[in-house]
Amino acid sequence: MSDRPHIFRWDLDKTYLATEFDSLRDLVRTALQRPADKANVPGSAELLRALRGDSGGRAQVFFISGSPRQMRGVLSEKLALDGIHYDGFILKDNLGNLLRGRFRAIKEQIGYKLPALLDARSHAPLDAEETLFGDDAERDAFVYSLYADLLAERVQPAVLERVLDVAGVYPDQREAIYGALDRLEPCDPVRRVIIHLDRKSPPIRFEAYGRRVVPVYNYFQAALVLYEDGRLLPETIGRLGTALHAEHAFTLPMLLRSFQDVLRRGGISYEAARRLGAQALRAGIEREVVDLFAREAADRTVMPARERPQAVPDYPSLLERELQRHRIEKARRKKRRRWL
Amino acid sequence: MATIALDAMGGDHGAAPAVRAAARISLAREAAVAVVGDQREIESVLRRTRYDAAFLSVVHTDQVVDMAESPRKALDAKPDASILVGARLVADGRADALVSAGNTGASILACARTFQRLPGVSRTALAAVYPTERRRGSNDDPFALMLDVGATLEADADTLVAFAHMGSAYAARISKNPRPRVALLSNGEEPFKGSPAIVEAHRRLADDPHLNFVGNVEGIDLPRGKADVVVTDGFTGNVVLKMLEGISETVVDIARYAYRSKLVWRIGLGLLRGGIVQLKQLTDWQQYGGAPILGFDHLFIKAHGRSNERALSNAIKVAHRAVKSDLCAEMSARLGEIADEASRDPEPDGDA
Repeated sequence: MSDRPHIFRWDLDKTYLATEFDSLRDLVRTALQRPADKANVPGSAELLRALRGDSGGRAQVFFISGSPRQMRGVLSEKLALDGIHYDGFILKDNLGNLLRGRFRAIKEQIGYKLPALLDARSHAPLDAEETLFGDDAERDAFVYSLYADLLAERVQPAVLERVLDVAGVYPDQREAIYGALDRLEPCDPVRRVIIHLDRKSPPIRFEAYGRRVVPVYNYFQAALVLYEDGRLLPETIGRLGTALHAEHAFTLPMLLRSFQDVLRRGGISYEAARRLGAQALRAGIEREVVDLFAREAADRTVMPARERPQAVPDYPSLLERELQRHRIEKARRKKRRRWL
Repeated sequence: MATIALDAMGGDHGAAPAVRAAARISLAREAAVAVVGDQREIESVLRRTRYDAAFLSVVHTDQVVDMAESPRKALDAKPDASILVGARLVADGRADALVSAGNTGASILACARTFQRLPGVSRTALAAVYPTERRRGSNDDPFALMLDVGATLEADADTLVAFAHMGSAYAARISKNPRPRVALLSNGEEPFKGSPAIVEAHRRLADDPHLNFVGNVEGIDLPRGKADVVVTDGFTGNVVLKMLEGISETVVDIARYAYRSKLVWRIGLGLLRGGIVQLKQLTDWQQYGGAPILGFDHLFIKAHGRSNERALSNAIKVAHRAVKSDLCAEMSARLGEIADEASRDPEPDGDA
């Protein structure tokens, strides 16, 4: 475990909470839900509590969500019910956007999340590292990667300008972005971006972001990645697997397949997997269970994942592709709804 | 939850349709698929496909039996051929059923080398469904089952009786038809018509209280759906099945020719379009899923070599349905009872 402070920034909908907002009906239902009725993405609460617990008091947790500020009370109550202690909670001023006729800003994420992340960073300890959690329903992988590369001064001003143009970011949001960048010292704190594949997007969609971004199908996979990153203790992986089994109907074969998948895709290395196996045995996990995981990792069954370089992606063309993909998916969903 | 082992390498179109079919099944989160084959090929498709990792795993092997290879020689030379690895997964309990679009002979031989035969079964049967006029079962199923269609070229009376029981159990479970009508394919309805094996099988099936045996059927009765399960030897079954497929393809070809030939015919076919589409759907082999190999203690579904993603995902669904309904255990129990009865009550003229 690192001695440096570590910040975990979480998106809320579809990352922490299993929210449905694909239709107007879903939106209304979500808005009216009581805190106790809000469902978590399986394992999200357990993982978040473990991240804080395993950090030895060096972790900070922040939420950044596209939900309207009016939801703060309900969402805070939900987090309290889950036993989540957080250090900050940023929500979107959707009412303000609506009253000012800025309809694009209600849906658009880059003009909201990027300045919010940069501003939050300006209040963080200088040596703090970060792990960011998002999902594939919006452009979280894009925003988080851009944020990481902006902090490290790996993105040219002209490229940023082009991205903001493509995203249709409003002038005051641009000012906030440039203002925060001026205040910040160059740093490279983002260690990992975990993307929860709520929509089961093909993994290839995230390859352009490099090895820092790891798409995961469930939080058992995320825990394995975070174990390799040194953010979780080995016994926590066992506890999370048990919780997923007991509370979220994850069977042992489902956990085994999830492990094999993240190993195949390079989210966790063979070496870390072997280390985890040995530590799990010492921590009292049954040998039979550890052997099943070892079988999934056996060389004959699985070949090592391809090495992915960590290069700065071509953000403007990546965003254009993302927008095009979003339009196609939206049209497809609309068509599906009509037939249903 | 059932796990279906899928041999991804055997089909005519490479691994892509199999991997996409497995991915499609994984998203439904009802069954898991263990995709067996070259991991590099599988991964190259998987990374471009929507799937759920908790319901899909990959078992790597780089040995494949090609369509043109001799089954015995190929399996001897390739102990880790994808079909053998898939069969071993099932035999070891890591999967519950096997699906492959590969070399039929090699697939059956791989099962024979890996699985156990059911009690009293000396030969296995490849079963296939074909469309009929009549609907059956709570699924309102238009398909009847024919077995064998190619696994056992010559069948004696014992084998035909075992086929009748296995076919009846399969139809009861898969078509949700609790008392399927079972018939022998022969050259006449009378009990004395047909080869000595048919006549002997008829005598034994007619007295069998476990079956709803309706006697012999002729070729003309097949499309009418007079029986829900038609029992025959593999040689005859294969010829009949191919002829039925040929007829449906010819009808469509004739319609296409007529469409191009005369305006009046084109208008007529336009008016009949709805019916023709229904007919095409009914005779579309891709929606059948595949043909089960019956007689082993585990289920194997043989998909068409030309299978695409839809055909293979339907084959996986059929395998899943069979596993869920505990088909092999049902067949084993039934055949075990018959074997017991036969041992208690020997043939009257057996020792004469």
